[in-house]
Amino acid sequence: MQPSGKWKIVSWTAALIVLLILPLFLGKYSIFLLSLLAIYALVSLGLNLLMGYTGQIAAGHAGFLAIGAYVTAIFTAHFEWVPCPLTLLLAGTISGLIGFLLGIPILRLKGFYIAMATLAFGVVVSEIILQWSSVTGGDDGFSVPIARIGGLVFDSDFKLFYLIIPVTILMTLLAKNLVNGYIGRAFIALRESEIAAQTIGVDLAKYKTIAFAISAFYTGVAGGLFAFLITFLSPDAFTIELSIDFIAMIVIGGMGSILGSIIGAVILTGMQQVLAGLLDLQILIFGLSLIVFMIFMPKGIAGMLSDLKEKFT
Amino acid sequence: MLLQVIFSGLATGSIYALVALGLALIYNTTEHVNFAQGEMSMVSAFVGFTFFSMLGLSLWITISLTLLISALLGIITERLVIRPAMRAPHFNVFIITLGVSIVMKSLSGFIWSHNDYPYPSIFPDETIAIGGATIDLIGLGNIGATVLLMVILYAFFRYTRYGTAMRAVSESQNAALLMGVNVKRSFAATWAISFLVAAVAGILMAPVVFLSTHMGIVVINGFAAAILGGWGSIPGAIIGGMLLGVIDNVAPLYLPSQIKNVVPFAVIFIVLVIRPKGIMGVERFTKV
Repeated sequence: MQPSGKWKIVSWTAALIVLLILPLFLGKYSIFLLSLLAIYALVSLGLNLLMGYTGQIAAGHAGFLAIGAYVTAIFTAHFEWVPCPLTLLLAGTISGLIGFLLGIPILRLKGFYIAMATLAFGVVVSEIILQWSSVTGGDDGFSVPIARIGGLVFDSDFKLFYLIIPVTILMTLLAKNLVNGYIGRAFIALRESEIAAQTIGVDLAKYKTIAFAISAFYTGVAGGLFAFLITFLSPDAFTIELSIDFIAMIVIGGMGSILGSIIGAVILTGMQQVLAGLLDLQILIFGLSLIVFMIFMPKGIAGMLSDLKEKFT
Repeated sequence: MLLQVIFSGLATGSIYALVALGLALIYNTTEHVNFAQGEMSMVSAFVGFTFFSMLGLSLWITISLTLLISALLGIITERLVIRPAMRAPHFNVFIITLGVSIVMKSLSGFIWSHNDYPYPSIFPDETIAIGGATIDLIGLGNIGATVLLMVILYAFFRYTRYGTAMRAVSESQNAALLMGVNVKRSFAATWAISFLVAAVAGILMAPVVFLSTHMGIVVINGFAAAILGGWGSIPGAIIGGMLLGVIDNVAPLYLPSQIKNVVPFAVIFIVLVIRPKGIMGVERFTKV
């Protein structure tokens, strides 16, 4: 039973309305969690565009998240009158630009070298933040000013929800259009075989750097929202472990799938809550699921769902 | 002063060289990148610790048992998680080894906790003076043990039937298969040997850095060493390891001391940007 186009629109609109009135019935902490989930979903989308669609292993996305977060925090502290969507755009753009620049030397590399280079990048970013204390506050951390658009002040988790959710929805739709269009197909061609993609006219250098830039842009915007949400930044929040959590998120959710990115974010947020006091158990489950999913379900939960759907229709 | 720093660099570097060697061994035979190489050292070091300090076995029994268990763990790991994905893209196997490293670390945390333990060295904790420099025997022993292991491995790969078969697999899996080499067994043997090398690295390293579940992070230095020397090259692993050890120890003399944290990452980054094939590396070509 395939829902027709009209019903699809109706059901999506209904889901959207439910999501938007949900905070009225939820406690402060649940609203915070939903916002965090949305931010993870943005990171997940960004990482998936790079890893799932073009097949480059990126092990340093905590670095881009940190760049987005610190750019947003520092910029807002100096120019408080700038509307926060513009600040987020700036954070995404700077992060994207750095992603683009990182993509250029990485073009010459293949496979796991990219993983190593991005891993190194992530660590170097948090080290720079730590050392450049005159701007970033270094070890002492950085207190993030409140987000505002003119007179509209996002000074509670409830209000921030209405900043974070629309941005996430907008960027999810954008990502969906992107992967269904020419760029998305070029990414997939690259993943399947770089040489074959080149012979059919996909500009390798161009699309790899684009993938890096877009991925970094998404993660940078997510970083900005993250800064507003958690209100205090410290360089030790952006570790290798966080980058690896992000990888686990898309592996479990489903690589090369928008839905998978969101499922992954739900699972990461859920696990962090359920196993909050049991860090070791949480890490163990992540590790095991990386192994089990890669062996039995390389396409993750989203891949499994679409297989099921095919079976029953 | 500088001479002494270079010596301690070589002592640290010999451990990096062993980690890089373990990585190169697995890569050469299976073309897989093993993110769990550092955690393998950590687990082996803890196994040794359990026998020696907790159960009170003698030194040589401890070492033999540790090496034996390590080789077994290598075979088990290969059989359980690598072989089912043998035909999968290398990308998938890399993620699997990432998972293995996480699992090993958290399981070790459950078994032995995340505390630091002092670890006895097999070499005496004394120093001797040569020229103007004071040389510590643990460092000297570590360099010696590394060189010895290298010689044994070289002889194994050069002169034994198994070693030759494994080299054949690394040249071409299909050709080796047609020549009657058991490729699957070679994969298992490679993991066993690599785990053994990791165990030696762990036993040598633990007295220097304290035994803890965080020890596995040395894999980053191993990657840096292997990339610096030339990925997949065995002499490159050794040269890269030694060189990285020296850089690691000399850099804080001339630069701010915090630089030590970023050395391996900076080395990875600079080498990959300037000369991705490293010092001894060979260009690799892939077919469609």
